Amino acid sequence: MNKKEFTVALAGNANVGKSVIFNQLTGGNQIIGNWPGKTVEKAEGFLEQEGIKLHIVDLPGIYSLSTYSEEEIVSREFIAKEHPDLVVNVVDASNLERNLFFTLQLIELEVPLVIALNQYDILENKGLHINEDKLSKLLDAPVVKTIAVQNKGLKDLFKVIKETLLSEEKKVPHIKYGKEVESRIEILVEKLKNKKIKLSYPYRFAAIKLLENDPLIKKEVNDPEILSTVKKLQEELKEIHGEDAETVIISERYAIASRIAESVITRRYMVKASIGDWFDKIALDKFWGYVFFILITIGIFYTVFKFGSYFSDLLSNWLEAFKPTFMQIPLSPFWDKILWDGVMEGVIAGIGIVLPYIAPFYLLLAFLEDSGYLARIAFLTDNLMHKMGLHGKAFMPLIEGFGCNVPAVLGTRIMERDRDRFLAAILVTLVPCSARTVIILGLVAAFLGPIYAFLIYVLDFILIVIVGRILNKFMKGTPSGLIMEMPRYRKPVMRIILKQTWIRLKEFVYIAFPIIIIANVVIELFALLNWLNPVANFLKPVVTNFIGLPPLAGVTLIFGALRKELTLVMLAGIYHTTNFASIMTPRQIFVYGFVTMIYIPCVATMAALKREFGWKRTTLIVVGELAGAIILGGLFNQILKLFMP
Amino acid sequence: MFNEIMPLADVSENTKVQIVSFSGGYNFVRRLQEMGLVPGQIAKIIRNSKIGPVEVSVMGSNLAIGRGIASKILVKVVYE
Repeated sequence: MNKKEFTVALAGNANVGKSVIFNQLTGGNQIIGNWPGKTVEKAEGFLEQEGIKLHIVDLPGIYSLSTYSEEEIVSREFIAKEHPDLVVNVVDASNLERNLFFTLQLIELEVPLVIALNQYDILENKGLHINEDKLSKLLDAPVVKTIAVQNKGLKDLFKVIKETLLSEEKKVPHIKYGKEVESRIEILVEKLKNKKIKLSYPYRFAAIKLLENDPLIKKEVNDPEILSTVKKLQEELKEIHGEDAETVIISERYAIASRIAESVITRRYMVKASIGDWFDKIALDKFWGYVFFILITIGIFYTVFKFGSYFSDLLSNWLEAFKPTFMQIPLSPFWDKILWDGVMEGVIAGIGIVLPYIAPFYLLLAFLEDSGYLARIAFLTDNLMHKMGLHGKAFMPLIEGFGCNVPAVLGTRIMERDRDRFLAAILVTLVPCSARTVIILGLVAAFLGPIYAFLIYVLDFILIVIVGRILNKFMKGTPSGLIMEMPRYRKPVMRIILKQTWIRLKEFVYIAFPIIIIANVVIELFALLNWLNPVANFLKPVVTNFIGLPPLAGVTLIFGALRKELTLVMLAGIYHTTNFASIMTPRQIFVYGFVTMIYIPCVATMAALKREFGWKRTTLIVVGELAGAIILGGLFNQILKLFMP
Repeated sequence: MFNEIMPLADVSENTKVQIVSFSGGYNFVRRLQEMGLVPGQIAKIIRNSKIGPVEVSVMGSNLAIGRGIASKILVKVVYE
């Protein structure tokens, strides 16, 4: 063997830990969490070790290799057409039967296979044990036990991957169906062979999928004679079993999976209901579930606010204290302005205003993602989502949107249909991301009190529901329903939570921070050149006369389209103060907070929208939100005049 | 013993059922079957508040199934 470079694909059901294994092997930064459907696109990374180089591909989690969802097509085509040298099938050991259903289909694809029996600890906690040697024999593929979140078994996994790749014999396992099905598969394989039909899939796989009525393979075969044979064979199967051919095959595949699972699992002791089951009685209760959910949400935001405002004051004061020292450096007034008011105020805003809120927020979000609770929220909100023409799964990208709208827009791919995806993506852009949280907590909560911040969130959620309901009326098609595997609760692993938080923070430090500083310098230059007022005056009719904000606030909103936290940073930059109560009335603070929340998706989100839905629909969202924000901003301004100065 | 066929959505909690059939289009049925809801399969209803989704234990793991879908899955109760 001369070849030293190999492609290895990670495939398996949703939420079994593929991305955790991927991150451990490649040092990659795939977002992970305890809910199905995080990885919507394949991710690639490299591992060079012991003289071989692995190109590792993390595929989206799927339940089957048919083609009813985008993820299934992505995974199937990758395995069939890119011909990876090896597929590592990551299997949830504690849920062997269901996972084997997918393994069996991988075997049908005739690829060299290694099985990673992941989450082995959970299986043992259930009092169960898997005989891995027997499993390995039955599947005719090496089996490795792993606990990826604890970094256990990954060395063994690498060793087995290496051995399998370097071994001379290419083992291709086979699984046999019942006699009736098997004989018909053979008939089809013969036909395909005789006619020398060119396919990107192995004949046996194609024959099985043809019997299962797979539309893509039917199209690829495109031979009337074969297709009529398929039809005839399907009818025969229906005659014998009284069910459609695809049902017969799926049932048999599940029966094989059950048989294998049963023969390798032994029970060591009985376990009573787990804490998770007990907890679900509250978390999924039709009354207490919501109470708990609301308490959790309030708890998170209040913690972030308390923590944030404390450190915000501390850090800002500490950094501002350098000003006298700085001013002693003899510089021209121009450079004084650029360097202190531009660069340093930018640094202070980034560290003093943004970081103290964003860091704890990301930490708690990672905690929530890792716990398994998110899927419970999806369960609870399924009915509400239906009123907006979506279903519970849409809650996952919406929650993800609290961190950042960009991955959340991509995350809408877990919705099954285009209409649902677009609808969900529109709602995602209205979800207050961490940058907007900074504004709401750092401005509204800090200067008006937490209750007003709470009010803004409530208004935003009401808006999301109303927009959802209206759009649902105008967008054609009935919503599809929820069907989702409920992940088990997992004790969050601190190392993983911290890493997740750091991945998100890194984005802020490396991308947002420079932008904040540059924007602050630019605005300082504008001020020095006297350009701010003409811009402000141009915006005045809308910003001041209608929405009631100070004219210069309009300028900050322009910058905010770049990144939402810039609005607040620019406000501090223009007025040279972080005491926002001295520049805006309470009413203005409230309206400003609300408007920044909804007025436009930031540039990065627009790019994501464009990529997923095209220019036309992105423009529609942007224009719609701008108009909506102006109208609602004006409306709130008028209403609040009655209560607030 | 009375084995009435009824929609999954109407079955009360802690009941064991056997999947009988589905009323729905090809893709719909296909998706359910690939999640393990094949005819003949035994499932246990873990949670059914009669307003939200139904949670069933099937093939060793729990599935959340929206009410709309659950009312299109026909089952019969298994008495032990």
